[in-house]
Amino acid sequence: MSAQLHQERSGRLRRAMADAGLDLLVVPGDAWHSDYLRYALDLTPMEGEAIACIERDGAARVFVASHAEAARFAAEQPAVQVSCSADPLAQAEAWIAARGAAQAALVAPGVAPTRLARGPLGAGMTAATAWFDRLMVRKSAAEADAVARATALADAGYAVFRDAARVGCSEYELIAEVEAWFRSQGCPENFVILGTGGREVRGMHPPGDRRIAAGDLVTTELTPCVDGYYAQICRTLVVGEPTDTQLRAYAVYREALEAGIAAVRPGATHGDVARAQNDVFRRHGLGDYVTSAYTRVRGHGVGLFVDGPHVLENVELVLEPDMTLIVHPNTYHPEAGYMVLGDTVRVTASGCDVLTGTTRDLISVPA
Amino acid sequence: MRRGLISWSREEVPQAILEARVARLQQAMREARLDAVLAYTSFAQPAPVQWLTHFVPYWSEALAVVLPHGAPMLLAALTPRVHPWIREVSHLGEVVSAPRLGEKTGEFLREQGLGDRADSKARIGVIGLDGLPWSVGEPLVKAFGEDSLVDASALYAQLRQTADRAELDLAKRATAIGEAALLAIPAGATRAAEVLAAIEASARRAGAEEVLLRIAPDFTRNATLSRMEGDAPLGERYAVELSVAYKGSWVRVNRCVASGGEPLSWQTSSRWLTDAAASLSVAQAAPRFADVPGGGALNAWTLETSVGVYPLSVVAAHDRPPVAALSAGGLAVLSVELALPDGPWRGSVPLAVAADGRESISLAS
Repeated sequence: MSAQLHQERSGRLRRAMADAGLDLLVVPGDAWHSDYLRYALDLTPMEGEAIACIERDGAARVFVASHAEAARFAAEQPAVQVSCSADPLAQAEAWIAARGAAQAALVAPGVAPTRLARGPLGAGMTAATAWFDRLMVRKSAAEADAVARATALADAGYAVFRDAARVGCSEYELIAEVEAWFRSQGCPENFVILGTGGREVRGMHPPGDRRIAAGDLVTTELTPCVDGYYAQICRTLVVGEPTDTQLRAYAVYREALEAGIAAVRPGATHGDVARAQNDVFRRHGLGDYVTSAYTRVRGHGVGLFVDGPHVLENVELVLEPDMTLIVHPNTYHPEAGYMVLGDTVRVTASGCDVLTGTTRDLISVPA
Repeated sequence: MRRGLISWSREEVPQAILEARVARLQQAMREARLDAVLAYTSFAQPAPVQWLTHFVPYWSEALAVVLPHGAPMLLAALTPRVHPWIREVSHLGEVVSAPRLGEKTGEFLREQGLGDRADSKARIGVIGLDGLPWSVGEPLVKAFGEDSLVDASALYAQLRQTADRAELDLAKRATAIGEAALLAIPAGATRAAEVLAAIEASARRAGAEEVLLRIAPDFTRNATLSRMEGDAPLGERYAVELSVAYKGSWVRVNRCVASGGEPLSWQTSSRWLTDAAASLSVAQAAPRFADVPGGGALNAWTLETSVGVYPLSVVAAHDRPPVAALSAGGLAVLSVELALPDGPWRGSVPLAVAADGRESISLAS
């Protein structure tokens, strides 16, 4: 991650801690929940648990069990004191107790290890999740620029995916091509799921061993990371010529995506963006397919990961300039199967910039 | 997230093997007077649930409930849309939708009759209780009380000590995938990204479930392995560590590369490491290291096994005494970092631990 972005975020975090009157912030993380740690210290756990303790002046230490992770953290962030032991939780607890911070807070207590959260230290700490989440969702221009760079990578990655999706290729072989290409571009992380098949396919999953067949719909969601920031693209392709049914069905998704994007502007809410998309499905008699019985999430923030609440009709998160999100009316269509289409956008002063550049047409590849 | 091949091969992991593992756990539960054992899973903490059921969440979280009898049941925060996929890749009883995983687990256990007895409290074992996310732990503490939750980590670790036939074969396959991937590094590579992409492609095409890569791009100047976000030019020597999973079995393998060809000191060190790995046994939980070749120094070593909630856990190291004795037939990875007179070297050996009086067996070719 760029040093500039790291410094910018560290400054914002210190100011937020001061505003909250905090002396100490405890930030847990692992390979799944790494975004808080990345925001705070630009550290991404690959294995095991990491517990970071950040003081008001920015001094920080991290407790881990893995020697490899300890060495890596120390090398990546020399200013952070790294402790490696067989029981990092006990070590973190002991350090926090010895330090005796008057005002301490725990970020994302739900993610925190039970031992840390339920002990006497946990009880004495407030939750810092809400304001920390706001820090991540409200992006600076530099952060939004990083998302734009990740979107360009997602576009290019989708071209690799499209070219590799051929009859006889298994799902995992297809994703291997994409992952190798992202690596060749210096991208270590990517959230990816896909679906292959026909009308029977009702969602996406990680790659299995099914082989692509002529006539398949191949759906995917690629989410690569650049400078620590993610962006997403969702697209559907047909192996062979699309049928009239597929084209007719897909037109609804395109209309919904365009309606959703048109609703993205400062002052609008995630709920507005979701409603704009769902109204299109409802107008086409497909309202059942945007409920929880199928897929109801119409997008989500993108940044250090999936940040903030999802794009759902009941979510009142108000959009502001430089927030970044993906708008995706992905769901099952009763005549064609599961279809996806999604673009990453950046909120501007008057609306939004669509960062995704890949065609929104239903893509066809040779059978 | 997990983004390699996730599938259940009944030939490689027979249903009977999974059922035998559950039966061993249930026997241990009865001996420990546990009414249930809970095993949480995310892709960060996948080991116990994957071992018991073959299920690994590519994303999100779930919790397996094992009662004294019957198949494990899975409470999954994943959308019900993927329940058919969950069933396809794992061996489970009921699969229950649980967007609020902790609360739903509490309700589910009540429905199973736990906590309803007036005469005594339920005893619920939790594998990895200390590290259980509080969003799951808190509702359980509220529902059953602190005293009802028992840490079942040691009980689980004991069960994992000896690998069954399927685990051994999967570990061999993971090792073979890793070795082939390291050999796929293009000769004359000049950039780290080029090396990592070649490894990634080889391992994932061969069916790796996950690939974790660390690299020291200029090994002579800096021997620390980095995660490598972006790219870096390669020095005359570089080192790569590949952690590879194949159907839940994790191993680590390393390759050091020198532009002028592999120095003799590295070949000698590799044999030295193999000998050290062979010295591990039930009676020898820390390796017996001979003098480092060429008068070099052993900077660090770790011995890792799959006894915890994470794929690999350090059970002994240069700065830690062994946490427990090893068991014959257990799987482990021994890794070392050497300071040789001509520069650093690192290596890893996946192995099967020997019984007393015998040599541990390297899984490497």
